[in-house]
Amino acid sequence: MATIELRQVEKKFGDLHAVKPMDLTVHDGEFVVLLGPSGCGKTTTLRMISGLESVTGGQILIDGRDVTWAHPSERNIAFVFQFFALYPHMTAWQNIAFPLQSQGESRAAVKQRVAEVASLLRINHLLHLRPGALSGGDKQRVALARALVRHPAAFLMDEPIGALDADARETMRAEIKRLHLLEHATTVYVTHDQVEAMAMGDRIVVMSEALVQQIGTPAEVYHKPANLFVARFIGSPGMNLVTGHYANGVVHLSENSRYLLSPEWNQALQRELGGEGKVILGFRSEAGVIVEDGPLAAEVFTSDLHGAYNMLNLSLNDDLVHIRVPRGIRYPMGATVRFNIDAEMVRFFNPRTEAAITRRVR
Amino acid sequence: MATTQAISGGQSRRRRQLSDAALLRLFIFPTLILIILMNIFPLFYSLYLSFTDYSAITRQAPNWVGFKNYSDLLSDKQMWIYFANSGRYALLSVGLQTLVGFGLALLLNEKFKGSGFLTTLILVPMMLSPAVVGLFWKLIYHPSSGIFNYIVTFGHPTAIPDILASPKLALWGIIIVDVWMWSPFVMLLCLSGLGAIPDYIYEAAAIDRASWWRQFWRITLPQVAPLLMIAVLFRTIEAFKAFDVVMPMTAGGPGEATELIALNLYRQAFGGQWRTGRASALAYIILIIVIGISNVYIRFLNKIRGD
Ligand SMILES: Nc1ncnc2c1ncn2[C@@H]1O[C@H](COP(=O)(O)OP(=O)(O)OP(=O)(O)O)[C@@H](O)[C@H]1O
Ligand SMILES: [Mg+2]
Repeated sequence: MATIELRQVEKKFGDLHAVKPMDLTVHDGEFVVLLGPSGCGKTTTLRMISGLESVTGGQILIDGRDVTWAHPSERNIAFVFQFFALYPHMTAWQNIAFPLQSQGESRAAVKQRVAEVASLLRINHLLHLRPGALSGGDKQRVALARALVRHPAAFLMDEPIGALDADARETMRAEIKRLHLLEHATTVYVTHDQVEAMAMGDRIVVMSEALVQQIGTPAEVYHKPANLFVARFIGSPGMNLVTGHYANGVVHLSENSRYLLSPEWNQALQRELGGEGKVILGFRSEAGVIVEDGPLAAEVFTSDLHGAYNMLNLSLNDDLVHIRVPRGIRYPMGATVRFNIDAEMVRFFNPRTEAAITRRVR
Repeated sequence: MATTQAISGGQSRRRRQLSDAALLRLFIFPTLILIILMNIFPLFYSLYLSFTDYSAITRQAPNWVGFKNYSDLLSDKQMWIYFANSGRYALLSVGLQTLVGFGLALLLNEKFKGSGFLTTLILVPMMLSPAVVGLFWKLIYHPSSGIFNYIVTFGHPTAIPDILASPKLALWGIIIVDVWMWSPFVMLLCLSGLGAIPDYIYEAAAIDRASWWRQFWRITLPQVAPLLMIAVLFRTIEAFKAFDVVMPMTAGGPGEATELIALNLYRQAFGGQWRTGRASALAYIILIIVIGISNVYIRFLNKIRGD
C-alpha cells in the first residue's frame, strides 16, 4: 500500500481552470473522498493522480516517488471508472485476468488469483459471461475485481456506483467499504453525493469551482465547515444560516431575537469584525432546541414528518431555518416559537469573505 | 395570397385521396417490376440455359442437355487452371489489401495535421473507372516508357522483364493494381471500426499495464475484426468476379497466366462460338463457389462476434 501526495497540482484546459493548485496527502490505507458538485474538477484530479491526464503544474508523489510525468502503467494504481470501462469483447474472467496477463504472470497464478478475487466479490458464477450480459451492479463487481486482482498500491474510483440504481448502490457501497477494510487499500474515491462521502470517507476533500474548500474528517466538515459553501453543501438539510448584526457581545437577528455570545465567541467576532458588523450565524438542525424562554424567535412555516423525528421549518427574517423536534409534537402554522442553540454547536461566518470565524482554541 | 391558398388546398385534397396503402403500392411496384425484369428473370432464365446447348448467335431454340455443361466444365483440365488462377489471385490480392488497408487505417486513425485530406486522397483510386485504371496501369507497366520498372529498378527499367508479358510476373502485375485500387476500401471500413473503439478501453488498458503490442492484439484487432472480415468478404467476392481491370491490361495473357475465371466466362459467352449454355453453367459454378466462401466467412464472423 502507498501514500499519495499532491503538491500544488493544477490543471488548465486552455484558459479554463479545471483544478486550481491543490495540496493533498493521502495516508497509507486511508479512504479519502473527493466531494463536490458537478464540474468542480473531481474527475480531473483523479485522472491526474492516475496519469490519464497530464498536470499543468505541481507535483504528484506516490510512496515518496515523483510520478508527475510517469505513464499510468508505471504508477501501480488501479482505476475504477464510472461507466465500468470493461473490455466488451472479453468474458468477465478475461477482463479480470487481463492486468495479470499483461504483467506476464504464469497461467496457474492467473487462474488462482482470478478465482480468489471472484469469490471475494461473489461473482464466480458470472465469469463466463461478457459485460453485455451483466447487470450494472455485476459489471461494477467485475470492474472492482479487475482493479483488485493485481494488488495495486492504490485505488482510484470515479463515482463507481453513480451509474447504478438506488438498491444496487446501497449494496455496492457496503461492499466497497468492506473491500477497503479487508485489503487495507489506500483509496481515493470520487462522488458528488455527500451522504455517500460521509458514510465512506476517513477524510473528505470538499471541492467547488476547481478549488479545494476544505479537507477534513466527516465530523469536521459537518460540524466545523470552513466556509459557507461547505456549510450549505454538507448535510441534508445544509447548515442553518441566518444573517445578523454583531455589536457588544450580542448578535441581533431580528426584532425579538438576540443571541448572547459566550466570551470566546465575543472575542473572536470582535477580532474578526473590528467592533461591530454583519455576521452570519450558523447551526445544524439538531442543534436547535425549542424552549419556552429561548433567546431566538421564529414563525412556523411548515413541518415535515421524517419518521424518527419531525423537521420544523421556521422563517426568521428572510431565512428559512430547520430545527429537528421530537416526533408527536405539533406546531400550528404561523405560530411563533422560541428556541435556543446548543452553545457548542453554534458557528459564525464572515459574510464578506464567506469564511468561518474561529475561536481561540482553549 | 388567395390563389396560392386555393392551389395548396387543392393539392392537399388530392393527396388525401391517395390512401397510405395506395401510396405504398405506387412506390413499391415499379421497383418490384424492375427487380423482376433485371434480376429475377435473368437469374432463372440463365439457370435454365445452363442445362441447354443454347448459343445466342444461332437462331436455334435451346435443347435440353441435362448436366452435360456442368460435367464438361468440371472435367475440363483447362478450366481448373483458370480456377486456380482466380484462387491464387483472390488469396494474394485480398491478403495484401487487408494488410495494406489495415495498416493505412492504423496510421490515419492517429489524428495529425492534414490526415483528413490524406484520407480523401487515398480514396481516389477506388472511385476511378476500372477500365481506365486497367489502361493507365498498362502504361505504367510499359517496360521502357512506364514509370513502374523505372522506379523499382532505381532507373534501369530494362533490368527486369516486362511485368505484364512475363508468365511469372503478370499475375502479380494485376494483383498490385487491385491492391492499389481497393486497399482504400479496406482502409475505410477499418477506419470506421477503429473510430468506434471508445477511448476508455485504451485508458483501462493503460491502467492495466498492457503494452502497445498487447493492446493491439487483445483490443484493437478483436474490436476491428468484424468490420475487417466484412471488407475481406466483399473483396473476396469481387476477386472471383475480377474482369474489368484485367481485360484491358492483359486480356488473360501472356498465355493463360492471368486468365481468371470471370475472364474465361466472358470469352465462352461472347467469344468464338458464343456458347451461352456452357457459359451460364460456368456462371452458376462461380456463384456456388462464392456463396460457399461467403458462408465460411460469415460463420467465422459470427464466431468472433461471440454469443
Ligand atoms: N478534456 C477536457 N477538455 C476541456 N475541458 C475539460 C476536459 N475535461 C474536463 N473539462 C472541464 O473541466 C471541468 C472539471 O471537469 P471534471 O470532469 O473534473 O468535473 P467533475 O467534478 O468530475 O464533474 P462531474 O461530477 O460532472 O463528473 C469542467 O468544467 C469540464 O468541463
Ligand atoms: Mg466526474
